[in-house]
Amino acid sequence: MSSLRTSLVAALLSAGSLAAAEPDFTKDIQPLLDSACVSCHGPKKQKGNLRLDAAAPNFGIGESGSALKAGDPAKSHLIQRVISSNPDDRMPPDGPALKPESVQLLKTWITAGAKRPEVAVAEDRTKWWSFQPIKYPAPPVLPETERRWSAHPIDRFVRVKQLEQKLKPAVLADRRTLIRRLSFDLLGLPPAPEEVEKFANDPAADAYEKLVDRYLAAPQYGERWARHWLDVVHFGDSHGYDKDKPRPNAWPYRDYVIRSLNADKPYARFVQEQIAGDVLFPGTQDGIEALGFIAAGPWDFIGHAEVPETKIDGKVARHLDRDDMVANTMSTFMSMTVHCAQCHNHKFDPVSQEDYYRLQAVFAALDRADMRYDVDPNTARQRGVLADRRKKVEGELAVIREAIKKAGGAELARLDDLLSKIAKPVAGAAPEFGYHSALTERQDTVKWVQVDLGKSVQLASVSITGCHDDFADIGAGFGFPVRFKIELADDPEFKTNVQLLADRTATDVKNPGVEPQTFPAMKKQGRYVRITATKLALRQNDYMLALAELEALDASGANVAFGKTVISLDTIEAGPRWRRSNLTDGITYAKKTGIPQNGDELRKQRQDLLNKVVEAKTRERETALTVEVAEMVRQMAALPAQRTAYVGMVYTGGGAFVGTGGQGGKPRPINVLNRGEVTKPGKLVEASALTQLPNIPGEFNLPANHAEGERRAGLARWLSSEKNPLTWRSIVNRVWLYHMGRGLVDSPNDFGRMGQLPSHPELIDWLAAEFLKHNGSFKWLHKTIVMSETYRQSSAGDADAVRADSGNMWYSRMVRRKLEAEAVRDSILMVSGKLDLTMGGPAFQDFVIDKPDHSPHYEYDRYDPEDVRTHRRAVYRFLVRSQLQPFMTTLDCADPSVSVDKRNQTYSPLQALAVLNNKLSIAMAKHFAERVSKEAKEPKEQVRLAVRLALSREPSAEELAALTEHTAKHGLPNTCRLLFNLNEFHFVD
Amino acid sequence: MNLFQNRREFLWSSAGGLGGIALAAMMAEKGMAAPQAGLPHHKPKAKRVVQLFMAGGASHVDLFDFKPDLVKHHGKNSDFGEHVEAFQNGLGPWLKPFWDFKPYGKCGKQLSETVSPLGAVADEMAFIHNMVGKTGVHSQGTLLQTTGFNRPGFPGMGCWISYGLGSLNDNLPTFVVLPDHRGLASNGTKNWDSAFLPSHHQGTVIYPGTPTPISDLFPDKTAGYVTRESDASTISLLNKLNTRHAGDRPMDDRLEARIQSYELAAKMQLAAPEALNISKEPAHVLKLYGLDHGKSSFDKEINNVEETDYFGRKCLVARRLLERGVRFVQIWSGNDNGFPRRNWDSHEDVKRDHGPLAFGMAHGASALIQDLKQRGLLEDTIILWTTEFGRMPSSQGGKGRDHNPYCFTNWLAGGGIKGGVTHGLSDQWGYKPLDRKHPTEVYDVHATIMHLLGIDHERFTVRNNGIDRRLTDVHGHVIKEILA
Repeated sequence: MSSLRTSLVAALLSAGSLAAAEPDFTKDIQPLLDSACVSCHGPKKQKGNLRLDAAAPNFGIGESGSALKAGDPAKSHLIQRVISSNPDDRMPPDGPALKPESVQLLKTWITAGAKRPEVAVAEDRTKWWSFQPIKYPAPPVLPETERRWSAHPIDRFVRVKQLEQKLKPAVLADRRTLIRRLSFDLLGLPPAPEEVEKFANDPAADAYEKLVDRYLAAPQYGERWARHWLDVVHFGDSHGYDKDKPRPNAWPYRDYVIRSLNADKPYARFVQEQIAGDVLFPGTQDGIEALGFIAAGPWDFIGHAEVPETKIDGKVARHLDRDDMVANTMSTFMSMTVHCAQCHNHKFDPVSQEDYYRLQAVFAALDRADMRYDVDPNTARQRGVLADRRKKVEGELAVIREAIKKAGGAELARLDDLLSKIAKPVAGAAPEFGYHSALTERQDTVKWVQVDLGKSVQLASVSITGCHDDFADIGAGFGFPVRFKIELADDPEFKTNVQLLADRTATDVKNPGVEPQTFPAMKKQGRYVRITATKLALRQNDYMLALAELEALDASGANVAFGKTVISLDTIEAGPRWRRSNLTDGITYAKKTGIPQNGDELRKQRQDLLNKVVEAKTRERETALTVEVAEMVRQMAALPAQRTAYVGMVYTGGGAFVGTGGQGGKPRPINVLNRGEVTKPGKLVEASALTQLPNIPGEFNLPANHAEGERRAGLARWLSSEKNPLTWRSIVNRVWLYHMGRGLVDSPNDFGRMGQLPSHPELIDWLAAEFLKHNGSFKWLHKTIVMSETYRQSSAGDADAVRADSGNMWYSRMVRRKLEAEAVRDSILMVSGKLDLTMGGPAFQDFVIDKPDHSPHYEYDRYDPEDVRTHRRAVYRFLVRSQLQPFMTTLDCADPSVSVDKRNQTYSPLQALAVLNNKLSIAMAKHFAERVSKEAKEPKEQVRLAVRLALSREPSAEELAALTEHTAKHGLPNTCRLLFNLNEFHFVD
Repeated sequence: MNLFQNRREFLWSSAGGLGGIALAAMMAEKGMAAPQAGLPHHKPKAKRVVQLFMAGGASHVDLFDFKPDLVKHHGKNSDFGEHVEAFQNGLGPWLKPFWDFKPYGKCGKQLSETVSPLGAVADEMAFIHNMVGKTGVHSQGTLLQTTGFNRPGFPGMGCWISYGLGSLNDNLPTFVVLPDHRGLASNGTKNWDSAFLPSHHQGTVIYPGTPTPISDLFPDKTAGYVTRESDASTISLLNKLNTRHAGDRPMDDRLEARIQSYELAAKMQLAAPEALNISKEPAHVLKLYGLDHGKSSFDKEINNVEETDYFGRKCLVARRLLERGVRFVQIWSGNDNGFPRRNWDSHEDVKRDHGPLAFGMAHGASALIQDLKQRGLLEDTIILWTTEFGRMPSSQGGKGRDHNPYCFTNWLAGGGIKGGVTHGLSDQWGYKPLDRKHPTEVYDVHATIMHLLGIDHERFTVRNNGIDRRLTDVHGHVIKEILA
């Protein structure tokens, strides 16, 4: 203290030359902080995550940033707090305020730059609890008196801490409470009333264990727990950003997670598949669909599709893309935050900037895109064999065709040119396009157009020709019907004696472009020729029928339709391009441009030429190979259809979004970016995992010409290694959190120095070690936790314990769970008798998409709650990023653009209004009432049943009376609406 | 959140907000959502904010940033003196502003004819002409201006302010968004979602003048069975049952908080329709906002009267909300890209889009500033006009302009802002800041607004996934030059 006083005196005396009076940290400042601050802001406790002990690596930096502004004491939070006149704000909180001279000392030290000696700062960054190897501590032995807590290892770890804290645990919850708790926890749904009764009255000693086993075996378990996982990986069904396009093929990843959980897939494999399933488990469905993890997060469509990688904006978009992959991987599997290392070395954790970019290099070959794949590995194999064979045959064919081309010379080139133009004509010639029906929103709308030949004629053939319009880049065959029929009749209404000339209504017709399609009429006779489209062509967001020309040839070959009257169901009549009369004006795109309308004659000329100039042997070989290719194409088409999943993959594209497929999947070079700016590339890096963690080297040591997948395989192995302590601690902590309402580490996405310390370090290690020993079995882990006494406690804690352990850090009671948005929604549907438990498949959409092709608008206000497709579990909801579902969001569901490790809990008036008034709850309350009226007769019984369904318990006499009276006055739906809004409906004891 | 936790703070932050609910309930009783402990950091100059957002990229050189050199060199090949990356390579000849400029107010600020209604309040406005963005991509540019980050996952400015300062009322949301009625802009609701902040800090979307201005405020119309009487009776019995339930479960303040939320909801049901009803506004006020046109339908083509009606109506509703204690109002002009174009992304035709949009905006914004002033509200209400980026001084296809993220304009007015000043100049073309080493960034604007609200932007942080997040990321300086 004497040195302190000396410095102080010096400071006061030499106010004009502060530098001279600069206090010495070790002698003057450290003792002051140690005595006043370090008990709450030191190695033991870190209130506000602030440490002021000399050895702290993050000295002076708490939740709200730096407490010290070097050179500016007035702006330093530390000073503001110690001098605050507000007793709530002032530090230290207990005991007297700092003496003015101590404050002055601190100010002087800060004015001089708040310097600390280097030795004090140097703490090895790897010496943090979470980076150390997992220990396998033996569960502590409790005193004899603690028999209730001695049977289960978890309870022994928990109870020891409670004893240290002198906390009295809660009593065991009753069976009705337990079944409701377990049902929501494991399945996310309320138990049926009869189940509750059965369990409450089951005399078996192992009734609870049987219930646990039954629930863990139920498929709804996978759905419930997949949702937790999807929160963490920020899975969504649309891209986000601008023009937020849907991802119609994102769902296979969601189903993969559900399937994996239900199958109790070992965690190591679960991890490996999501990073490198295609490499490590080739030919498997899971190995592909798991890669949806890499593509789960938001993606800037415009930044990829409209801006090439050569531009700065394109580089930024791709940097953000990889950053999302890297951050998602490290946060999800290891609870590490690496994001901030893109600009500088991590301030607190052993993550160098170079390591960050090495992780980017792991994903550098990938883009997010739709991958086609076979679900059945046998099919995949067959397809592979066929594809290889086809490639070989096509190779030979190409050589032969080249020889033929050479032999055919200029004449062959001319013929081929003309033939190609029939298939794909040149643009913009004739203004008289043809006939065009009105637009319709449905493809199966039936449209017809017919020609009045003027009199009944015997016909040899009828031909129709498609239009050409560049609108929406369609070109040749614009509006040509996908399915249609041609009929002939003397009745203009086509009601009597209709003769069918052609029927193409059973299967889709390949669009013929502008080549005329001729159908024999077999001398059938009639006055009216009608084309009826039963499946229309797509225009942009709508459908229509268009035809350029209809010709009806009589026996002499004359076109008797020319110039005749055209009648149709409807028409747009926008002359000269579109009008009925164009259908019989003799003008087609081909005729107008001088390109022959029929290829037959050309093909004949071509064949004659080839017969002259190419050897028969070569021609035969060409024919044989062509047939063989066609046969292989047929065989491939006959294989079970491929599926599509949106995943991280080597992509081959066009325009600005080319991907790396064209370069054989060669990863993009990745440089360290100075301050994270794409315009300032530094050192080129190789791919690796984190290289500074103890005991687990991150280098992959790959050969120079390795395939990109080897990088991901390396990362997958590293992440799932038994030696990676973070992976195993992270996952058991997440599972524990979802069961217990509070993590052993209460920052589940951050096990670094900015995160929380574990409340029960031995327990988390025991769980991690045992989880590893049990082959990473989630079901083992769930059962172990829910069988514990800790889990089975009542949520009504001992009053003193609740006061002392208000945050339930010591688990002195069970958390009263506020149900998540999904559980609330699913419960509403379930008790109303409307929940559809169909599993898997494409997501349901509880909105209407307007303008799907440009900037989709997701309009939730147009949702029809009676749409049965939407009555499936909320985990199957289509998750739009740019427009969050209002009802679910108000109930705190996860935002798919953010990794959510634990959900917020809010109680806002908007939430109350949503549950009260949203059309879903309003409609379902009506169904709930209908259901109850069907299943019970007397009003009182109906109310009783409704309460049992909604709350899993009998109503009290008083409740029954009040609710029955309410029902009598306002009807059952109003009572059901009330039940949806009860606190008891939203909380589980 | 603040550095040292006092008891009140501890309640908020401990146990995942479990204890915090006690405070929420406590504050709910007082009818106010609580500010974060320690806030404000200093005496605020302003209490409320209106953010006017021009979606698509408003052209600074055609509206506010007069460049005589463009007039002089109009039609000559553009030469930027360096390689320029433009979003759609729109680097045609220099293109003069589409409207004449002339000076307004005592300060003599040059304004374009199409924003001439703002001339009446020129002496209230502070212009910043050297704003720079990060990219020329709409989504990223828009997110940067609304959330301070160019990728999704961060709270909007209004969310931060709602979270930090709490509410000024007990019957309306704290943060209200008035979107363009034709659709949401780039990123949709991501521009005002609460991200990692509690969901009640997200912007509440209101569509004034529509059948359902606020979703779920009243029972869905399909509910034939809910009457005024049954509704009241349901709420009353609900409260009784909830109170009994909570009584059996002592010491869980969340239950009480949820009961309170129904009382607040009932208050909101009364207050919101009244706040949105402009029918009783006197004729001179309707005239001020350009709502006296007497038309019930508009021409098919984009036009001044219609755009003035849309924007003016939102401004008038904003004023009514501000008067009733809404802290942050965000007004949008322009939707996402679509056909016909109804936003500021004038690649094809600046005159066609910017003309009516800017005129309507200027009329409404000017009315809002005048109206707030005459009610004594301007002195503690900040108005910020912004957009995701500017437009190029060169032409694109003759009549349009490409994106210019390298330079654009913001202006502010009201609470604590010095009127009639221009800070930060652009170069002779309006291509980049005149002083390229000292541009103004969105962080600076956000820091300045926070400062006026009594918040030190560096100290107002929330830890999320291991990082102390703040609205200004790791940047931002208060722009002293525009402070009154």
